[in-house]
Amino acid sequence: MTPLIDVSGLTIRSASQPLMQPLALTLHAGRPLTILGETGSGKSLLAQAIMGLLPDGLHSDGDVCIQGQRLSTSERQALWGKQLAMLPQEPARALDPTMASQQQVSEVHQLVLQHTPEQSQQRSAESLQSLGLVNDGDKIPSQLSGGMAQRLAFAAATAAGAQIVLADEPTKGLDASRRNDVCRLLRQHIERSPERHGLLTITHDVDVARQLGGDIIVMRKGEILERGSAEQVLNQPSSDYARQLIAAAPSNWPNGLFEQPVPIPSKLLLETRGLGKQRGGRQLFGSLNLQLAEGEILGLCGDSGSGKSTLGDVLLGLVSADSGDIHWHTRVQRWQKLKLYQEPPAAFADGVALGQLIDDVIQLHGLAHQQVAPLLEALSLDASLLERPSNEVSGGELQRIALLRALLMRPKLLIADEPTSRLDPVSARDVTVLMTRALRAAHCSAVFISHDLDQLRHSCDRVLQLSEGQLHPIG
Amino acid sequence: MMPAAAIRNLLLRRLLQLLLMAWAIGTITFVLVRSLPGDMAYRIAAERYGDDAITTAAAASVRQELGLDVPAWQHYLNWLLELVQLNLGNSLVSGDPVIHNLQHQLSYTLALVFAGLLVSLLLAIPIGLLAGFKANRGADHLSLLASTLIRAQPVFSVGLLLIFLLAMNIQWLPVAGFGELKHLILPALTLGICMAAVSSRIIRNSTVDVTRSAYYQFARVKGLSRWHTFVHHGVRNISVPVVAYLGIQTVMLIEGVIMIESLFAWPGIGHALSHAIFSRDVPMIQGAALLMGMLFVVINALVDAICLWLDPRLQLSASTSNNASPTNSTGKKTAQEASL
Repeated sequence: MTPLIDVSGLTIRSASQPLMQPLALTLHAGRPLTILGETGSGKSLLAQAIMGLLPDGLHSDGDVCIQGQRLSTSERQALWGKQLAMLPQEPARALDPTMASQQQVSEVHQLVLQHTPEQSQQRSAESLQSLGLVNDGDKIPSQLSGGMAQRLAFAAATAAGAQIVLADEPTKGLDASRRNDVCRLLRQHIERSPERHGLLTITHDVDVARQLGGDIIVMRKGEILERGSAEQVLNQPSSDYARQLIAAAPSNWPNGLFEQPVPIPSKLLLETRGLGKQRGGRQLFGSLNLQLAEGEILGLCGDSGSGKSTLGDVLLGLVSADSGDIHWHTRVQRWQKLKLYQEPPAAFADGVALGQLIDDVIQLHGLAHQQVAPLLEALSLDASLLERPSNEVSGGELQRIALLRALLMRPKLLIADEPTSRLDPVSARDVTVLMTRALRAAHCSAVFISHDLDQLRHSCDRVLQLSEGQLHPIG
Repeated sequence: MMPAAAIRNLLLRRLLQLLLMAWAIGTITFVLVRSLPGDMAYRIAAERYGDDAITTAAAASVRQELGLDVPAWQHYLNWLLELVQLNLGNSLVSGDPVIHNLQHQLSYTLALVFAGLLVSLLLAIPIGLLAGFKANRGADHLSLLASTLIRAQPVFSVGLLLIFLLAMNIQWLPVAGFGELKHLILPALTLGICMAAVSSRIIRNSTVDVTRSAYYQFARVKGLSRWHTFVHHGVRNISVPVVAYLGIQTVMLIEGVIMIESLFAWPGIGHALSHAIFSRDVPMIQGAALLMGMLFVVINALVDAICLWLDPRLQLSASTSNNASPTNSTGKKTAQEASL
């Protein structure tokens, strides 16, 4: 049987340097292929090169055959929709913000498959119904939750009937249950027609690779380290990197990784009463009652778009609530309520040595310079890192420096908003361990926001899930 | 909320704003005119009859005409009462009712405004789209250079250049005047070119943002052709910030109208306003300023209504908060992003 995709000798280069070692892979109908590796390892470029969708300034060489035919980039572009489909990384951003949901699907029927408007309406209504979006056809993307946007993007991407689906980090930012939904959706695509349909998925999530099955390729920095069947790679990895990657997945963290939480003194830091907030026409939460004790590390999980970050901003006073209030039991200054951002570079000025930025904070608040050295040690940072600007240190290091800068202020409350989601699995684990340790040492209360329930379960005193505007405790 | 209902609410709010605006502009011009230094009546009489022919009697008649002989509060109340009845007084120069003059001039100004707007869109849309699709290449750089050169000089200097070029050098068009369509061409061209210098860059930036967005690429990946992607996902999304910007540009439009009408002797409100200022025709100044202010509110209300119609996100926020102001939310961003 002819393979759906047959790639050989594929390289990707920018004007100045090669970004990927020559690579070969074959995708067969009915057998999912998953490329597993950390962010920034060139996985996404690979999918874009196969699609013929590389960003300006990047070029690919080598052969790409689709169903036995060697095709040029523009010939592959002609197959978009009808034979080749690619699921977007961030579906909420891939949907037209000003167009009603159903139209984003029905226009494919009408414009690509040349169906009549009535037929297109009917077909798109059917596919929305089968994905549980029956009442959401008139909504625009900002009214959809992350999970709904994901399903709508899937319906739109495959509406023209593509056999081959490429999914680039399809579970980014989703919590465990949503992640499983997406995996099911992808598997259904294969199961609907195993002799014709193919699936190539790119992910950093070991659990996604496990659920999809089929074959796995492990990649790091543009180089293939290992390939084989899913059972073999996940159960008996032969490369060191695959072993590290699997061990770094939060679901595989050992129980002793974190210090046992000390019994929390019952003294409360804050409590909220009937907190409510709307955004973009959607009620994020209606009446939240939340208590946070001094020194407690609270985990907060939920889908992207469920209002976790907004709740964090409301607690910090960065965003005002529509209703309800926050009662502080101790006096907390503005600079004692701090935030750790998802993207560490966003929190630092460009082109200035990090040490300078730390010194500025010390000077502004009249802090003692001697505090820095012990914090560097506690966060296992090298002092020489402070001589560099933010773009010359890795994401994991930068996030720890951001934490150091926050801890200098002796904060009473720290909101860590997805602090590890842009980091590779290994540094994500290290940052999580060091962060919780440092927070406990500083007796600082924290809300740790993440979509990864396993990560929170291991590191936090208790975990709450925000969904449909309510907080649910998770055991 | 349905778009129609949202738009109706917006226009109702703007109508209220229009009344407040009329009152505010009227009061400010009233206060300014009352507080002019020197004896107003003598100054105006001097303008009217010549410096040698001033008599106390002439000044007194002017004083009475302007109502300067009564206390300020009484004068203000009289004036306000007449304003409500749309009586703006009589011109001190021609003696005709101001409202009558203004009605006549408004039609000329509107003709100039719409012709200028049309020219600016005819220029800015193709240039902006071209520069946006070929961002950071020759055409884009050229359009940036041209925009900068045009915007760096005052409106009347662009007008003068066009007069030299099209009216005096090759004598295609009349230098100034009114009456026939050919008289409208040069003023409209001047206004249009000055506005297009900025709006083409806004269109360019918006085009770059949209065509590089994830959703634009995703539409192509869904299988849509380049043309279909542009028509169905480009046009509306590119328009939203551009239309919002047009509202901000109204300030420039009004300013341009005053200069261009004076330059080309185009008998609109701007021309009337500058003449009224030179001849200290107080009721005329008040009337023209009032009408320009109202024109500003009306154009902005129209722009906001179009924004609301274009962008379903604004309809959503209009239904949740009662304080929808499209130009404030999207317009501010555009102004910052404009590379000019």
